[in-house]
Amino acid sequence: MSEAVGVVFVVDDDPSVRRAIKRLVESVGLQAELFGSAQELLRRPDRDAANCLVLDIRLPGMSGLGFQRELAAAGIHTPIVFITAHGDIPMTVRAMKAGAVEFLTKPFRDQDLLDAIQQGLEKDRARRAEEAEVSMLRERLASLTPREREVLPWVVSGLPNKQIADAIGASEATIKVHRSQLMRKLGAPSLAELVRMSEKMGIASPKTFKPS
Amino acid sequence: MISANAALPGSYDYSEVARSVFIAVAASYAALDLTGRVSAASGRIRLAWLSGGAVAMGLGIWAMHFKGMLAFHLPVSVAYHWPTILASVLVAIFASAVALYVTSREKMGTVEATTGSIFMGAGIVGLHYLCMAAMRLPGITVYSPILVACSVVLAILFSLIALLMAFGLREETRWTIPRRVGSATVMGIAISAMHYTGMAAASFFPASPPDLSHAVSITSLGNNAIAIATLIVLAAAVTTSSVDRRARAEVQRLNQDLERRVAERTLQLEAVNQSLRKEIAERGQAEEDVRRSEDRLRLAIDTIPQQIWSGPPDGSLDYCNAQWRSYTGLTLEELKGEGWQRMLHPDDRDRVVNAWRESVATGTPYEQEERHRRADGQCRWFLARGVALRDSAGRIARWYGSNTDIEDRKEAEARLRLVIDTLPALVWSKLPDGSADFLNQRFREYTGLPMEEGLGWGWMNAFHPENRAEEEWREAFAAGQPFEKEARMRRADGVYRWFLLRATPLRDEEGKILKWYGTTTDIEDRKRADESLLEAQNKLAHVTRTHAMGELAAAIAHEVNQPLTAIVTNANFCLRALEGGIKNPHELRVAITEIANDGTRASAVISRIRGLLMNGTPRRKETDINEVIQEVITLPRNELSRSRVSLRSELASDLPGVLGDPVQLQQVLINLIMNAVEAMRFSSQRPRKLLIRSAKSSDGILVQVQDSGPGIDPEAARRIFDPFFTTKPEGIGMGLSISSSIIESHGGQLSLLPASQGALFQFTLPVGNGVS
Repeated sequence: MSEAVGVVFVVDDDPSVRRAIKRLVESVGLQAELFGSAQELLRRPDRDAANCLVLDIRLPGMSGLGFQRELAAAGIHTPIVFITAHGDIPMTVRAMKAGAVEFLTKPFRDQDLLDAIQQGLEKDRARRAEEAEVSMLRERLASLTPREREVLPWVVSGLPNKQIADAIGASEATIKVHRSQLMRKLGAPSLAELVRMSEKMGIASPKTFKPS
Repeated sequence: MISANAALPGSYDYSEVARSVFIAVAASYAALDLTGRVSAASGRIRLAWLSGGAVAMGLGIWAMHFKGMLAFHLPVSVAYHWPTILASVLVAIFASAVALYVTSREKMGTVEATTGSIFMGAGIVGLHYLCMAAMRLPGITVYSPILVACSVVLAILFSLIALLMAFGLREETRWTIPRRVGSATVMGIAISAMHYTGMAAASFFPASPPDLSHAVSITSLGNNAIAIATLIVLAAAVTTSSVDRRARAEVQRLNQDLERRVAERTLQLEAVNQSLRKEIAERGQAEEDVRRSEDRLRLAIDTIPQQIWSGPPDGSLDYCNAQWRSYTGLTLEELKGEGWQRMLHPDDRDRVVNAWRESVATGTPYEQEERHRRADGQCRWFLARGVALRDSAGRIARWYGSNTDIEDRKEAEARLRLVIDTLPALVWSKLPDGSADFLNQRFREYTGLPMEEGLGWGWMNAFHPENRAEEEWREAFAAGQPFEKEARMRRADGVYRWFLLRATPLRDEEGKILKWYGTTTDIEDRKRADESLLEAQNKLAHVTRTHAMGELAAAIAHEVNQPLTAIVTNANFCLRALEGGIKNPHELRVAITEIANDGTRASAVISRIRGLLMNGTPRRKETDINEVIQEVITLPRNELSRSRVSLRSELASDLPGVLGDPVQLQQVLINLIMNAVEAMRFSSQRPRKLLIRSAKSSDGILVQVQDSGPGIDPEAARRIFDPFFTTKPEGIGMGLSISSSIIESHGGQLSLLPASQGALFQFTLPVGNGVS
């Protein structure tokens, strides 16, 4: 997916509105894809393709808010910009809490929509970068030996080698070797970086910490 | 004379012999006859008969002997020594007595017969030979011993025969006389035979003349006299015997008759006795029955669970049944007279005694409820009743009465009264016309009206002056149907509260109203609740309307904002395109075209909403405006009554028909009515009245709707028909605008007219051709 060209999915039951938005979006060099309803979008093969979603609240069939929940449940976290002809505060709150980027009332200013879309694209970019890093780290983690994998949490928890050696029953020298190996394999320049990486990978500190 | 050695020859005068035999037979008959008499008699009479019979019989026998001797004629003169003769007579009598005695005894055995016959034979022999010895003749009498013995034997033998015959014949039977005659004949002959045998035993030899001292000569005259006298005596004896027998027979017959009659009488008496006994027994049974019946009655009177009493006309008491006695524990003696008054409750005594005295004086039935003290001292309520029993003349004969225990009923009554008095409702009963005859304690307490003031029509004073229209009440009661009425009642402290009065009639079998029963329930709170409910309803209506408006607004916004969004977005795109130099004029043209299209679309949406509010396309037809009005005013009735608005309609009857859409016209009318109601609801002005009029106008008809609300101020009046102009907090300002459009589409005009009070709206409709 190109990071230069964002893809925007527009879902609105009014074709006139859809076309106008497409025109506007494309005028700033983004790609737009149009859908008349949520169901129409769900029928698309790669539903994850969009970088940003412009979603009307009042839709035939499933409403915009319902669709938002549906996507979250399916693990699709595409940023959403809501547009509505008649919104109220509770609706807005619900939408924003569920992670919406923006909530615009029709008719909206063109710049507002474009800003919201831009924001969404950035959010999407960050999300995708993070996802990429996590998957890279997971690959690296997979390259560790079982012993290094075992030592990793101890290292992350900040204990000196001697204590780690005591805790898992190995020599201090061995631990030292393991430490340098796993830092190299994971590409962590410092312990602080290693801790950050571990958090991202969801590695927790050892549960059984026994101070000597 | 004959030689001395030669016996004197004797000869018999045979006629004399015959006569002697006859006498013997007669004497025998007499003997037999007398035997019956002697045996039939007893006591002194028997002795008399025995003596008489012996005399007669002895005389007969003697006469026969003497006659036989006289029948013997000797050639010498014979005289008779009379003392010896007399002795012979006595012997004859003695022998006869013996014979009679023996035969007249009840039994005659062989010994008696033998002894008797010996005595009798000896007597006869003695008689004979004494007679012979009495003879005084010049000669000696020599007896042949054989013949003498023979004569003695014959005498005894004949005596025995005679005795047996006499004994056998003594019973007097049918054939007695012929048999007696036969027997007498036999006996007479036998006696004669013996005599003549005795005579034959004697032979007379001449000797010296005899001593003739005490001797008499029997002449033939004497001889006959003896015979005749003897026969007379015998006849007399037989006659006497016969008379006596007949008398005896008569007596016997009479006796028998008497006995028969006695027996008959006895039988009759027996029968009478029998029936008498039966009667006595029956009477006894009847008495027993009566006694039992009395016992039963007494038992019934004493056992029935009632106290029964009676007394004389003076009013005292002289009887009371066991129930009363056992209840009071007093005896009849103690209760008698005026004694019953002692068991009256002291508080009742005067009333009861006076009432009883009055009943006694006037004779009217007595009926009082009174408390009687029981034996244990407790007093119970009784219903005492007394009635007078009158005789045929109408005078009081007795008083009868009863006391019924009504304690339980009284208690139940008291409980019921307590219930009625404490019910959280004002309870009353009224006469058919509506005048009160009972008000419960709560009613009296609540209103502060004492019973006497509340009765009759006094209860009306408990109501608010506005609710005191007596005519209205009278009408409600006169209608005879259960009814409800809401009215304000004054509490004792002067505060008025709303009450719901409910009345239900009690009817007899014919449906005539006997009484009204009813309650008056405090509904002030409910009334208030109703009002707050009404308010809540209004609020809810407001909310609903607001919500509906929100929905409408959302719909409008959505419908209108969609094209607007497209227009704005496209316009912005165009601007951007223009700013950045037109790279793609085609795209620009498309965008502008779409802007134009969306503009048209937005306008169409507005039109559609307006059409929606105007309720579809009108359908015109010939319409009677009065019908429309009448239909309409039934619709908001509930709303009217809730808001306490009274609606009045004044409809002209001669209106021409108009061409119009009834539904749209109704919509207009409802709009006007609801506006009026709302205007009045928020004003405190009273009363709330709504008037709907229909009338002819110059070119058609006109309809006016006028309220008694605050009216519309001139500022508002100018804009009242503008769309979205409203004087109401939640109004959308479309009602009058749309109504006006509808009326205009009918060729008429909706206008607000100046009015002295409230708001007066009027619309006109042209006749026939109202199509715009």
